[in-house]
Amino acid sequence: MNVKILYLYPDFMSLYGDNANVRILTKMLEDQGFEVEIIERTITDNDISFADADFVYMGSGVESSRNLAAKHLGRFKSGHIEALEKGVPMLFTGNSYDILGKGITTPDAGFIEGLGIFNYSFKEQSEKRYTGDVILSDNTTGDKYVGFVNRAGTPDVEDDLAFDVVKVIGNVPMHKDAARKNNLLGISLIGPVLLKNPVIADSFVKIICEQKGKEYQKIEYPHSVRSHDKTLKALMDSEV
Amino acid sequence: MKLRVFTAILVCKIVRGLAKLVGRGSSLPGKYALKICPDILSELKLPELSIAVTGSNGKTSSVEMIAHILKSNGLKVAYNKEGSNQIEGVVTFLVGDSTMSGKVKSDVILLESDERYSRHTFKHFHPKYFVINNLYRDQMTRNGHPEFIKSVIGQAIYDDMTLILNSDDPLVASFGKDRPGTVYFGADKLPTDMDTHEGIYNDGKYCPICKAPMEYEYYHYNHIGKFKCTSCGFERHNTDHSLTSIKNVDGKDFITIDGKYDIPVFFTGIYHCYNILAAYTASVIAGIAPEKVAEALGGYILKSGRISDFTLGNLNGRLLLSKHENSVSYDRSIDVVVNDKRKKSVMIIVDAISRKYYTSDSSWLWDINFEKLNDESIDKIILAGQYCDDLAIRFELAGAASDKVEIFEQVSDAADYCAKNLDSFLYVITCFSDKEKILSLVTRRELS
Repeated sequence: MNVKILYLYPDFMSLYGDNANVRILTKMLEDQGFEVEIIERTITDNDISFADADFVYMGSGVESSRNLAAKHLGRFKSGHIEALEKGVPMLFTGNSYDILGKGITTPDAGFIEGLGIFNYSFKEQSEKRYTGDVILSDNTTGDKYVGFVNRAGTPDVEDDLAFDVVKVIGNVPMHKDAARKNNLLGISLIGPVLLKNPVIADSFVKIICEQKGKEYQKIEYPHSVRSHDKTLKALMDSEV
Repeated sequence: MKLRVFTAILVCKIVRGLAKLVGRGSSLPGKYALKICPDILSELKLPELSIAVTGSNGKTSSVEMIAHILKSNGLKVAYNKEGSNQIEGVVTFLVGDSTMSGKVKSDVILLESDERYSRHTFKHFHPKYFVINNLYRDQMTRNGHPEFIKSVIGQAIYDDMTLILNSDDPLVASFGKDRPGTVYFGADKLPTDMDTHEGIYNDGKYCPICKAPMEYEYYHYNHIGKFKCTSCGFERHNTDHSLTSIKNVDGKDFITIDGKYDIPVFFTGIYHCYNILAAYTASVIAGIAPEKVAEALGGYILKSGRISDFTLGNLNGRLLLSKHENSVSYDRSIDVVVNDKRKKSVMIIVDAISRKYYTSDSSWLWDINFEKLNDESIDKIILAGQYCDDLAIRFELAGAASDKVEIFEQVSDAADYCAKNLDSFLYVITCFSDKEKILSLVTRRELS
């Protein structure tokens, strides 16, 4: 059985080892017995179709690229929203998460329109970076997530965000993070989010199995679990 | 002379003297001086000639080479060899070199300048020449990303400076746009060049100015090469000084600059060549005759130990010093390993990324082309240190055969394993911050 991963802007939004997420999910789906096909679409493509996608991923980029990607992706908004409403699982990490909201105010006071799925809008500056390790908590399940944030802006409202920020080690001003709707997860964490958070990776695998009508098998990924546990403990123990 | 300037100089010199007495070099004296007189740098009387060097990699090497060249040619050089390249460190070494009236005694000021802090340092003091060697993905946990670093270096550039730029690095070369008088250095086409990009990510794929796709005639490594934007016309600038060839004559390595100066080198790693070329270019532009520069470089032995040879039990090995959070430096070390055609093993140590604590950011491991180590000549791959689980997953997805990979949380266990089980040459790739963890367990040998 074939699973299609739509990988958005792999060469344009690939700043922080984001390829890890697609590679890890691909491996996990293969372990479930799927054949995985990765469809790459980027800034020079004239069409992005969400129609056949079983999973959608987009990573981080430098802000100037991210702004162009936001405008480009906006051209295919109707297909994107349709897939979202249909329940296609999607993961947006790092500053691709920003464009799921109303938009981004750039340091030169320009405004980049977002997809409008969530209420927040980001305001960015160019004087410094907000960077740091963070621990997030999903209060509905009790799960803790770990990762690194590396961004230029802050959201104006956090009311429709899903996870509480338990701890920040760094200068990132944030109290809540991650936007969820249907099977879409947008999260500020950069890089190999699915490696550091096997629970999130597993949840996507389960959804895809269910949607493809294949029985989900529980498979252990001990390195991923150890990496998460070790990071969580170290961040918990670390002084801010 | 203003009293606070005098006081700042006095305090800085006293604290520096005391620090030296207890054997500590630091930027503390400069910190005090800045508290007393925040614009102390603009109050000092500086020599006409000053050169600052910045970039992601190779700042220290280039600065040390320039210092050597200038000194060999009779100039008195003040440079921040005490290590700190932030403003406090700069104040410390400049005041240390000045008279009580604030006159810097040296003929030349040479500055290794932190890419994030030059904008602060240069508010009060503009170097005559500003060398920018490269901008890579480097320590992004604090640097954000290369384009952010480009924007903060941009804030340090003033009209009265002459830029000396690497023409082969698009992001660096873009500083020269609309700046006539800019000096460029770069490498001509070399036999080791590639027609297609090699690596996990390509930071040269899109134009740094207009974001349209770029085309490369050839790549020296990563995104360094001969590029041209398909839209706005931004392209590799012709060079004022060039690396024209790399050759081996009777077992000795040489690089040739400007087609006529052969310089013996200890190793021909491409980015080491760029450091030499940057030093050569800066020295020639500063007024030293090219043949004198070449002569001085020929007698220079690179001191920074990027390579350490050792024995571990019956094994011979070589440590290739790289930088964590810098995929380009890892990629270059991997090239050294795969270009050695012997049967060999490789140990990768990632134990401490941040000095303070175990950080979650291992994203840079996914930017390194570990896939290149899937080579028949590789015997074992040993993954060691606290981040061994992240490495294990990275290597699994790189397609490394599971019977080739050994995983150890402790570096000492990894070393034990190698001593007892391996009979092949051992390369170790790790960072400054982790190197002692292996070097303390082995016997060092003279470099061969």
